[in-house]
Amino acid sequence: MTPVTKRVIARVPERVLQLLPVELRADARDWLNLRVPGDVGYVVEPPRPNPGERPGPPDFLVLGGTDVGGRWWMSQLADHPGVAPNRTLDDAAHFFASSATERFGAEQGKAFHALFPRRPGRIIGHWSPDGLSYPWVVPLLAEAAPRAQVLVLVRDPIESLRARIAATVDDRPPHVGSNLADAVDRGFYGSQVAHLFEHYPPDQVRILQYERCVGDTAGSLADSFDFLGLDAGYHPRVVADPERSADGSADRLAPATAARLHSMYAADVTTLANMVPDLDLSLWSPFI
Amino acid sequence: MRPPDVARRAFRNLPPTVRTVLLHARGDYAPWEGGFDFTPPILGRGEVTGPPDFVGVGVQKAGTSWWYELIVEHPQVFERSDIPKERHYLSQFCVEPFGPAEVRNYHGWFPRTAGTVTGEWTPDYFAFPWVAPLLAEAAPEAKILVLLRDPVDRFRSGLTFRHRMGAPHTSVTVADAVRQGFYARWLARLYEFFPASQVLVQQYERCRIDPAGQLEATYEFLELEQYRPTELRREVNVSSGGKIDLDSGARHRLIECYADDVAALAQLVPGLDLSLWSNFTDGATTSSAPSSAPKSEGSP
Repeated sequence: MTPVTKRVIARVPERVLQLLPVELRADARDWLNLRVPGDVGYVVEPPRPNPGERPGPPDFLVLGGTDVGGRWWMSQLADHPGVAPNRTLDDAAHFFASSATERFGAEQGKAFHALFPRRPGRIIGHWSPDGLSYPWVVPLLAEAAPRAQVLVLVRDPIESLRARIAATVDDRPPHVGSNLADAVDRGFYGSQVAHLFEHYPPDQVRILQYERCVGDTAGSLADSFDFLGLDAGYHPRVVADPERSADGSADRLAPATAARLHSMYAADVTTLANMVPDLDLSLWSPFI
Repeated sequence: MRPPDVARRAFRNLPPTVRTVLLHARGDYAPWEGGFDFTPPILGRGEVTGPPDFVGVGVQKAGTSWWYELIVEHPQVFERSDIPKERHYLSQFCVEPFGPAEVRNYHGWFPRTAGTVTGEWTPDYFAFPWVAPLLAEAAPEAKILVLLRDPVDRFRSGLTFRHRMGAPHTSVTVADAVRQGFYARWLARLYEFFPASQVLVQQYERCRIDPAGQLEATYEFLELEQYRPTELRREVNVSSGGKIDLDSGARHRLIECYADDVAALAQLVPGLDLSLWSNFTDGATTSSAPSSAPKSEGSP
């Protein structure tokens, strides 16, 4: 398929796909070469470097999906004048989707670096919503960006699970259990952070609690800027997380269900607390 | 060939997603899909319901359909051909309430006649961490069966199977296939709710080598009299066509990814024979080099 045809087809409105039965949409995307970020085989086009920009490995990583404010935090950090804009932020979010089964060598590493052009003196980051929870991603990040500083967002796992389930707009044939398992799995931060520490030294990693970021956005941003070696005195335009689910929602969990979920995550939260001494469990009321 | 056979064959030759659309159009959903009707089946004459006597919980693409067929062929085991091997009933209650009504409904899926035992085998249950407490609540006395397979081989077969069934080629599908291979993690979760004496862990590779001996162990665990099925080495759910390509570097990374879990599994299951798992033959802790040994390419 020529690049022109590809571009024309890429303009097929999503609405047309929405007219198809839900079960056929994924196949239709494949047939029309309309892969989206997260699809195996999706290729991210690198941005053309502007004059004075040079590509290279990202200087920092933000790990965490929209349910823990990962995308929001990334955009808040990008407001800092010392941070170069990432022009493929969403496109490249699932860069490693294909790498569980495919080769990842120097060529793929170079393709990754090409996504991060910046001028000297500015830093640039990569946002990975599932890099923490998909176990093949962290080793590849460590290979492609070994010196990157890593910001990890975590949240009360029961609340983040509920946010993930509420936000799931799945246009694919629903495999109920597998979709739930994916949502559940993302909340096992303890084992995921332990895995991260096998590939990045703890002093290269900052664990951020979403609740703290929401409650004191300016203070938490200043801490993140400081961690990244940026001027912490900069006062960014503070924006509330657009994905934030409403507090005190009417659909509270039944006590027995809440207890089951608590028992599912309790040991893992303890693991996380042992690795992250300043984790404030008072912000995660079920786990105090 | 009769017209219904022609239609059936033509249907089977359709792409999986088209088959699914047609089935859904007539309200026909699989138990793992959102639209499935979990109203229990109507009881036949002489049938009663109750908690399952045995529940197979894992793992996908490790010969569970083959093994389940061998179990239900036993004359002391009750099975109805209109009820699927994989009930999937418990999968839906991650954040949904699960009380006495749901337990009763679950029991409704296990009719049996006097003097027989019955059960199910839903391989997905193993890697769904919310299922074990539900199962302990609904069937605390059930004997639990787990069939395991070299996790890297299982990953490859599992991902191939999911794609063939029409699952989208996304990182979520890949992650699901990876997740299922962390056996020690999921077995430890199961052991929080069931004593090890109530769980039988067997290896698919060993069942392939010695089906009679391994089936004898399964029957004994289920407290069934010894019985010789008509055909031991039958092939069920055989994968046709090739499997997904797995780059050698990716295989190496998967082995590393599973190494600690396999080591932990060997602690949890003392009889585990790692020599049967070619990707881990040197022991999990020394599996950092890519294995050049031929891989098990079993039928599932």
